[in-house]
Amino acid sequence: MSAWLDFAMEHLPYVLEGLPTTLGLWISAMAIGAVLGLALAWARIYGNRPIYAIATVYVEIFRGTPMLVQMLFIYLGLPEIGITFDPLTAAIIAIGLNTAAYQAEYLRGAVRSVPAGQMTAARALGMGKFQAFTTIILPQALRRVIPQWSNEAILELKYTSIAYAIGVTEITARAEKIGYETFQFFEVFLLIAAIYVVMTSVVAQLLQLLEKKVAVPGL
Amino acid sequence: MLLRVENIHKSYGAVEILKGVSFEMAPGQSKVIMGPSGTGKSTLLRCVNHLSPPDQGRIFVEGEELTAKNLNTMRQKVAFVFQDFNLFTHLRTVENVAIGPRKLRGFSKSAALDLAYKELDRVGLSDRADAYPAELSGGQQQRASIARALAMEPKLILFDEPTSALDPELTGEVVSVMNKLASEGMTMLVVSHEIGFARKAADEVIFMEGGKIIEQGPPSQLFEAPQQDRTRAFLNVIEHGGDA
Ligand SMILES: Nc1ncnc2c1ncn2[C@@H]1O[C@H](COP(=O)(O)OP(=O)(O)O)[C@@H](O)[C@H]1O
Ligand SMILES: [Mg+2]
Repeated sequence: MSAWLDFAMEHLPYVLEGLPTTLGLWISAMAIGAVLGLALAWARIYGNRPIYAIATVYVEIFRGTPMLVQMLFIYLGLPEIGITFDPLTAAIIAIGLNTAAYQAEYLRGAVRSVPAGQMTAARALGMGKFQAFTTIILPQALRRVIPQWSNEAILELKYTSIAYAIGVTEITARAEKIGYETFQFFEVFLLIAAIYVVMTSVVAQLLQLLEKKVAVPGL
Repeated sequence: MLLRVENIHKSYGAVEILKGVSFEMAPGQSKVIMGPSGTGKSTLLRCVNHLSPPDQGRIFVEGEELTAKNLNTMRQKVAFVFQDFNLFTHLRTVENVAIGPRKLRGFSKSAALDLAYKELDRVGLSDRADAYPAELSGGQQQRASIARALAMEPKLILFDEPTSALDPELTGEVVSVMNKLASEGMTMLVVSHEIGFARKAADEVIFMEGGKIIEQGPPSQLFEAPQQDRTRAFLNVIEHGGDA
């Protein structure tokens, strides 16, 4: 144990240099996913037929294929048709597009769970459909979606590790590098696992605080 | 005329619910619509502000016809009070009342809140301004939703069975608020079986059945000397505590 602690202390700084990359990748991807997910959810609930169909196909494709395949396609496949990204950008896009599909579905479920009378009452006041959605429905749906959204955020935080496959030097890639230099794979992956556990616990706690802070009786 | 309802027809699927309904309301008038359940009373109210646009017929408010284009501005003149209140769950009572003026009438935040407190006072709910809807009793929720309607300073308020989701001991507080509004000259079109309210506040009672107006007249006439058998039968049921 103390040998592992010594090992951990020695290599922690190098691994943690990858933390900004991991967190930046995660936050950017979650943000893309939130914005695009909101648009997709709107399209799936209120869109006319063609818009609904496009959003549905999008969701099915991104939920129906592995994220690693999506990432490899964006990083290695798209250059063949002249679209090139550096590894980090490709990873942000891949994870962002993927989580958008999931966030859209969670949000759609949450919007559906808001009683129909809320929209009717907003429209009866004289709000347009979009205004009613943003001022009445969405604030309720967002509160309801926080638990699922937290799970999704934590899942994606862990998924940032697959960006290592396309050469992003986030924390997992750095750990692997130390492994090959020291041949102490057991120790180094234990270290990286500990780092992920700490990160996901902190995120879970923060989101639980948020959930409590915005809670409203009856929602 | 403040409201002109002209030959409204409305079907759901193959079933014709409203079969040509017409009436008018002058400013300051109150009318009560009665009739058996499933007869199309709610559908008629929803047609009046196009929550369910009529298939045929026209609605005029202050002489202007309601269309798909002017709907959102016209609805600000025609408020709606729902049977099940439909207060906005995530907003405090005062915010429920302020949101219309704030978002739709161009009020500043503080002006909207001032107006909201004033309207809450009118319905006797000042002390519950900071509560969320889930923390209010049914009667309080309905009074809050009346305040929300009043804050739009509408020309006309439509009430769809405002007391029928309430426990009997809570209907009184809502009815007395409605009585007060009527006496202050608010124009009100009320679907309700509260005979007490109709007698006291209504200028006219409309009896509907099967998607049509069967009979209408002043409450004294309609209750004491109904002309139609069906009106008489219906009144018999509600006056003897039945659930018509
Ligand atoms: N959105 C709807 N879709 C289909 N049928 C409806 C809808 N709304 C009402 N109806 C039907 O229309 C008839 C009249 O309903 P309603 O206007 O609610 O009656 P009332 O308010 O007089 O009890 C009922 O048979 C009801 O089932
Ligand atoms: Mg009804």
